[in-house]
Amino acid sequence: MGDLTVRSDSVDVEQIMRQIRARIREKRGIDYTEEEIRQLASVKLEKFLEPGSIRSDLLQEFQRRQPPEPPPSINYSFEEDTIFASHRSLIRWLRGLFRPLLKLLFNPGPIVHVLNQQSRMNAQFEARLFELERKRGELYFELMHNLVLELTKLGIEVKNLKMRVESLSSRLDFDERRARALEGVVQYKPGVDAAQSLPSAGPGQEPEGHEERRRRRRRRRRRGGAPGESGSAAGTGGAPAPAPEGAENPAHQPPADPAEAGPEDDQDR
Amino acid sequence: MKLGIVVQRYGPDINGGAELHARFVAEHLARHHEVEVLTTCARDYVSWKNELESGLTSVNGVPVRRFRVRRERDPDDFGRRSTRVFERRHSVADELGWLESEGPSSPELIRHIRSHAPSFDYFVFFSYRYHHAYHGARAAYSKAVLVPTAERDPAVGISLFGPVFRGVRAIMYNSLEERALITGIANNERVPSAVVGVGSEVPSRTDPQRFRRKFRIDGPFAVYIGRVDENKGCRELFEYFERYAAAHPNGLMLVLIGGAVMPVPAHPRVRHLGFVPDEDKFDALTAADLLIMPSYFESLSMVVLEAWALGRPVLVNGRCDVLRGQVVRSGAGLYYDTYEDFVETLYALEASGPLNGPLGRNGLAYYSRHYDWPVVEGKYLTMLDRLRQEEAAGLGRDTLEPLPGWLARRRAILPPARQIVEAQPAGPVLRDPAARPDDESRHWAQRAPEPRAATPHPPVARGAPPGTQFAPRRGRRPRRRPS
Repeated sequence: MGDLTVRSDSVDVEQIMRQIRARIREKRGIDYTEEEIRQLASVKLEKFLEPGSIRSDLLQEFQRRQPPEPPPSINYSFEEDTIFASHRSLIRWLRGLFRPLLKLLFNPGPIVHVLNQQSRMNAQFEARLFELERKRGELYFELMHNLVLELTKLGIEVKNLKMRVESLSSRLDFDERRARALEGVVQYKPGVDAAQSLPSAGPGQEPEGHEERRRRRRRRRRRGGAPGESGSAAGTGGAPAPAPEGAENPAHQPPADPAEAGPEDDQDR
Repeated sequence: MKLGIVVQRYGPDINGGAELHARFVAEHLARHHEVEVLTTCARDYVSWKNELESGLTSVNGVPVRRFRVRRERDPDDFGRRSTRVFERRHSVADELGWLESEGPSSPELIRHIRSHAPSFDYFVFFSYRYHHAYHGARAAYSKAVLVPTAERDPAVGISLFGPVFRGVRAIMYNSLEERALITGIANNERVPSAVVGVGSEVPSRTDPQRFRRKFRIDGPFAVYIGRVDENKGCRELFEYFERYAAAHPNGLMLVLIGGAVMPVPAHPRVRHLGFVPDEDKFDALTAADLLIMPSYFESLSMVVLEAWALGRPVLVNGRCDVLRGQVVRSGAGLYYDTYEDFVETLYALEASGPLNGPLGRNGLAYYSRHYDWPVVEGKYLTMLDRLRQEEAAGLGRDTLEPLPGWLARRRAILPPARQIVEAQPAGPVLRDPAARPDDESRHWAQRAPEPRAATPHPPVARGAPPGTQFAPRRGRRPRRRPS
């Protein structure tokens, strides 16, 4: 899409806005609305943690919120008197009274010993298991913490890079458009440029060289004149002087001053 | 002819939109007729605290009679009542309570209007939504000319105002959008009306270099003039401008003129100058590449007119129907809805951009055609002459719809005011059907009430003049925060 141009003061603002929005669509590819873009941006950002909000004592904070207390034990305790215990004092007294009789009938000692050992082994395993879980939790959390941190840093870096790319492309676009606008002004002044670039070139002077002649020929072609059209100048072997050329058709001489280009030219900037 | 200008506040240092509008109109009409301003002793539009002396005084040669306000506004009470009438089903009594709570309630002023009505030919009431305009217009409806200064906010949907819009002698609108909105809600096509607006006191000579030297501002800049307020769209403006500044390091600066009620970002390319004298303001407008008006709600932006009067294009918020309609009709500015629009339009309107010159010239021409003081004065004078002729022919207004009775006032049968406003078609009026293509300012006095279109093209406002074209609106309209 070309640049905005207004040929007269009969400006149609709606048409200009349509042109502007077409250009925006062209640059953006897909015509998302501002709301949609904001929504997309917020979804992306929610997934990342802000580096400023990640604290160095995050692990301790996590441990404080989830204190490393052992889970309620399901182990039993088994001592020598356990099988004779009761919360009712009368039964407890009766069991104590008949205890020698029971020991006479069978030997509960090995059973009590084995069960007591088993209980102590259970407690040891439980403690070891809990310690392992705790260490593994710390390791996992540290790993996750580092991953999130790195991911956040990467996300921010990507975002910054995207912004830089966007900024660079905007600047490039801006400069290109400005350059085109300036070219649009300059292209009306070839006569002035020619006069300025060849101040010493006169009808009787020798050309500076072959390259200079080629350049002049090219310039003439761009203006629409064939090399042979300058007639006598070519015939005399000298390079055609700019001043006589300009004098040939003053109606086509572009105005040296941009202000003389008229209101429409001025509006085309 | 003796005219009474009735406005909520009045004074040389009171620069609210409607108040300044009223002062300009009073001072210009005073050149043709006897004018007396009737107002309150308040200076602050939030509290309505009595700060000025009551009685007769003179401001710039115009007699001003001030009356005391009965009580200051209680913001909490007003907020609660606003929520009730704007958002819920309510009664006429609720609306009257809301109006009383909004203020400025001055029974003395209303009594004065009622008792002295025979000595005035006409009263010009400013700002329909305030106590003085509603009760004053009811007290002297047969002589009332209303300048509503209505914006597209829920207050215009309050049912109390319908009878006033239908019962006054004439209405002087600020814009075609305002006329379409009020006509759509109140169905008052038969009331003589004109789209007038207001002129501006633009100096004949300005000096942009003086401004640059005084404030040490080099390079191109865009200017915002007005209260730096979230309700004026400044938050969005700052957000967009910061992004623009990051992407375009060689772009424009943003200069802010006016008091701030919100934080201004500390950015190297944002300069906040605070309040400045009028001379500096006009110098700034001349020095600026363009004026930015980010407001969502405007009935008429005087600073936009001033920018046009000085040949500067404007960039406005496309979600404000009035501003968008004005730039489209004038061809003197662009509008934005999104950040991308903002950047592109800002580029196009830079002094070195392709549109600055033509749009600036269009602005000047549009201002001269519609808002130059001779044009504005002429519209008022012709309207007053027309009313007088109608009176002589026995066509004056002799009735006003009465308020419902005691019991009916208390029946909560009225829909939320916001719902009524939102039911109206939105968007700018792109073309005034009553205007001649070459001069839309001349239609107003001769405009006869036109029949409603049998099958209006969507989206045409109910009651809007047939042929009125509305542009579809992009994006979501933000709700105004209660002030």
